[in-house]
Amino acid sequence: MGRRKKIVEQCERLMDKPENIRNIAIAAHVDHGKTTLTDNLLAGAGMISDDTAGQQLAMDTEEDEQERGITIDAANVSMTHEYEDTNHLINLIDTPGHVDFGGDVTRAMRAVDGALVVVDAVEGAMPQTETVLRQALREGVKPALFINKVDRLISELQEGPEEMQKRLLSVISDVNDLIAGMTEEMDDVDDWTVSVEEGTVGFGSALYKWGVSMPSMQRTGMDFGDIMEMERADKRQELHEKTPLSNVVLDMVCEHFPNPVKAQPMRIPRIWRGDDESELAETMRLVDEDGEVVLMVTDIGIDPHAGEIAAGRVFSGTLEKGQELYVSGTAGKNRVQSVGIYMGGEREEVEHVPAGNIAAVTGLKDAIAGSTVSSVEMTPFESIDHISEPVITKSIEAKNMDDLPKLIETLRQVSKEDPTIQIEINEDTGEHLISGQGELHLEVQTQRIERNQGIPVNTGEPIVVFREAIQQNSGEVEGISPNRHNRFYLEIEPLADDIVESIKHGNISMDMPELERREALQEAGMDKDTSQDVETIHRTNVLVDETKGIQHLNETMELVVEGMQEALDDGPLAAEPVEGALIRLHDARLHEDTIHRGPAQVIPAVRNAVHNALVKGKVRLKEPMQDVRIDVPNEHMGAASGEIQGRRGRVDDMYQEGDLMVVEGEAPVEEMIGFSSDIRSATEGRASWNTENSGFQFMADNLQREQIMEIRERKGMKLELYEQVDYI
Amino acid sequence: MLTFIGLGLYDERSITVEGRDALRDADRAYVEFYTSKLLGATVDDLERHHDVDIEVLERADVEQHPERVLDAAETESVAFCTAGDTMIATTHTDLRLRAHDRGIDTRVVHGVTAETAAASLTGLQNYRFGKATTLPFEYAHAGSDVPNSVLDTIQENRDRGLHTLVFLDIKVGDDTAGADVRDGDEYMTASHAADRLATHHPDRVAVVVARAGSPDPLVHADTLTNLAEADFGDPLHLLVVPGDCHLLEADALEALADAPRDKLDVV
Ligand SMILES: Nc1nc2c(ncn2[C@@H]2O[C@H](COP(=O)(O)OP(=O)(O)OP(=O)(O)O)[C@@H](O)[C@H]2O)c(=O)[nH]1
Ligand SMILES: [Mg+2]
Repeated sequence: MGRRKKIVEQCERLMDKPENIRNIAIAAHVDHGKTTLTDNLLAGAGMISDDTAGQQLAMDTEEDEQERGITIDAANVSMTHEYEDTNHLINLIDTPGHVDFGGDVTRAMRAVDGALVVVDAVEGAMPQTETVLRQALREGVKPALFINKVDRLISELQEGPEEMQKRLLSVISDVNDLIAGMTEEMDDVDDWTVSVEEGTVGFGSALYKWGVSMPSMQRTGMDFGDIMEMERADKRQELHEKTPLSNVVLDMVCEHFPNPVKAQPMRIPRIWRGDDESELAETMRLVDEDGEVVLMVTDIGIDPHAGEIAAGRVFSGTLEKGQELYVSGTAGKNRVQSVGIYMGGEREEVEHVPAGNIAAVTGLKDAIAGSTVSSVEMTPFESIDHISEPVITKSIEAKNMDDLPKLIETLRQVSKEDPTIQIEINEDTGEHLISGQGELHLEVQTQRIERNQGIPVNTGEPIVVFREAIQQNSGEVEGISPNRHNRFYLEIEPLADDIVESIKHGNISMDMPELERREALQEAGMDKDTSQDVETIHRTNVLVDETKGIQHLNETMELVVEGMQEALDDGPLAAEPVEGALIRLHDARLHEDTIHRGPAQVIPAVRNAVHNALVKGKVRLKEPMQDVRIDVPNEHMGAASGEIQGRRGRVDDMYQEGDLMVVEGEAPVEEMIGFSSDIRSATEGRASWNTENSGFQFMADNLQREQIMEIRERKGMKLELYEQVDYI
Repeated sequence: MLTFIGLGLYDERSITVEGRDALRDADRAYVEFYTSKLLGATVDDLERHHDVDIEVLERADVEQHPERVLDAAETESVAFCTAGDTMIATTHTDLRLRAHDRGIDTRVVHGVTAETAAASLTGLQNYRFGKATTLPFEYAHAGSDVPNSVLDTIQENRDRGLHTLVFLDIKVGDDTAGADVRDGDEYMTASHAADRLATHHPDRVAVVVARAGSPDPLVHADTLTNLAEADFGDPLHLLVVPGDCHLLEADALEALADAPRDKLDVV
């Protein structure tokens, strides 16, 4: 404990020298060795014992993480490292690799300036490698590469020097192709590809704790030949002592990742749309510890003692206990109860945390992941949207009546801590819905509710989430209020795919200043007049008000919007969310008196009009799809591709990679439920596979009606559709 | 045959004699209380007094599925009743038109309504009222402030020297209302309304009319700020914002409603 205190003190001393700080994330495909690598760094910094490093997985603190052998929650840790006679403070976030927990990666990237991408030398760049790179680059976070598990090439696969070189170079070139492709259109980035010569690529074994890079070879005199020899001779301990992995990686971090002073001027314009001439913009660019306080919250966690903890990046000013800070999107202020830094699973309180650091704060009771917290009111940061929407839902209810209120409270907390989880509370039936990224995601969350909160629950079978969308113009539709005094005339057309994508990626939103939103809409292909009349955006749907000078409409508009939202949240086919609708309000006739055009009148009128228009636009059901990749020995290839095809799936590609065959394809998420056990038995456990959500697609017409009725039945809806739904 | 019968202002005895006879003769009687209510009588009282069975309709029964009422009216004599008059503030023209479309004979039996009570109790001249308006509950109107159309109506009337009758929102505790009022009925009080209007016109004089048609009606005039502080007892309440007052109108307000004469615009 004494050692730990000392490190905390060291960190504290370095915190107000932003030039010497590096904020980084470690990101990779599942199981490529991020957490094992982090162990090495912690040991190198003297925070855990050198003997246990590599096996301890110090960042996987949760019981379920240890049981399942995967990281579930991103974890922060601060450490110091001496490089070129200067002591550096490194704030590091170890992220999960499993695709279901990708939301944690997205959020971590907001807090850091550099991403160390780890790739397993044997598996090479995998689907999640691409995803984490995209998550990093989207945030303007600079990548570097560490190729891990090189020991396996030498000892297990017995590769010779040429073979090994060929393999390592192909990993590097695959990664560089990805980086080059993704940065092509980023004008604020020059060349972010990695290279051995420049020292932005490292190699090694996190398990056996040795590493090598061009600069390390020059320093230690140990080249690849020496390393292969020692690894083969099983002199791993000696190898570790001669060329420790932690030095290779931490040197690389200090040398090649930008410090906050260098990074913030480039990152701020990417993630903040406030006035770049303002003083606030200036203090954020300068990482000014005397400026106004600006904290971007990227993670909400629970401490058994301190309660809710908000972690995030301080972009300006200095956080201190007792400060009263604004929280974006809420009224009033929150008082900071304590500030601290993360040391692995635990938090260490410190006096203050200045700009350029990652802080852990208590007392910010209104903050959620994505909040902007500041000492002056300000334009909030861009929202951190995880690209993949929830596709799987389970019902969940408390086994004991007594737990009913506690379960609701816990579910709310779960969705606050993990914004990629969606919760639908049903107080009447007590049967709530929890939606997430995949089967594992929901399994982990429900298990945590049972274990950590001690609430026994019953959960339903996992079901997938659908969407409803139109493919053609509806023509004008009239909506009449129940009292027939109010009428709305509107038309719906499909919204262009580019606009839908931009909305999904958060590039177009109602949070933006109006002018900017118009420009973004036009850039995505919307005509100028339409973009000027946009009244609101709901999910990926846009409401355009094309009426001119209708008396009382402005005070009724909120109700119009509400009616539209209701209609879009529960689509006309199966009460699934509607996507990609462009609603044009052409005209309205309103009653003179507010009381006769209140919610009971306007909301149903608009809701019915929107539903009728969607039906006229031939609304159909869309289902979520997954990209599937299976790596399997040749003799099981047929069985593997059969597993995809047998699930209404499509095989796109089959090719050899090393001694394995790779099968790539796409299949509906619904059919992929239970895939793990089926593929295991079909291939005698010899296959490894990855899936990644790939968006929603229209279901074939001959499957529509049956699926719609199944959903309606499950939801307890009437089993008849609008008469005009005669096209499916 | 569909007969629209106004029940009048307060209790089972506020109906006209003609209305009473029509109700008694009907084969079937419906009443809706979601637009307004009789505060002095329950449905039981009405049934007992008139010796008929009365079915209470909810909003959806009238606005969305009026078929039941209309089907009955095809073959029987049906009475459709509301508090006040069926066609003034409650606007059941729509139902009448639907009946008309189906070739059903209709008839209207008038009732005394707040519109007339406002003029007769305050002494303000019926000829000098402008457009009426309703002040909705905050939650029923999107936004917490007074809707612009309400303020505009009062202002436009005043610009022309006219009085404004302001109906105050009521919510009847049934499924068609929001969850927050399902427990019971809710009536906006005159002081609540005055309080909200006072943020815009603190010194303007208004007249409270409470329990019109009951044995103890109340009429009181003061500035909106002062009205906001007072308590006017049981519902229903309504508010009149006077425009320019004729001498006789000012005399009446002073004598009958304790109006501060110096704050009135007397012409
Ligand atoms: N042979 C060998 N195995 C390694 C190496 N690094 C990690 N492993 C093993 O790979 C497995 C996964 O390691 P982790 O560090 O948990 O991987 P991770 O990337 O953090 O995994 P997630 O967080 O779940 O995505 C463990 O069994 C490690 O022991 C290495 O350099 N060589
Ligand atoms: Mg891990």
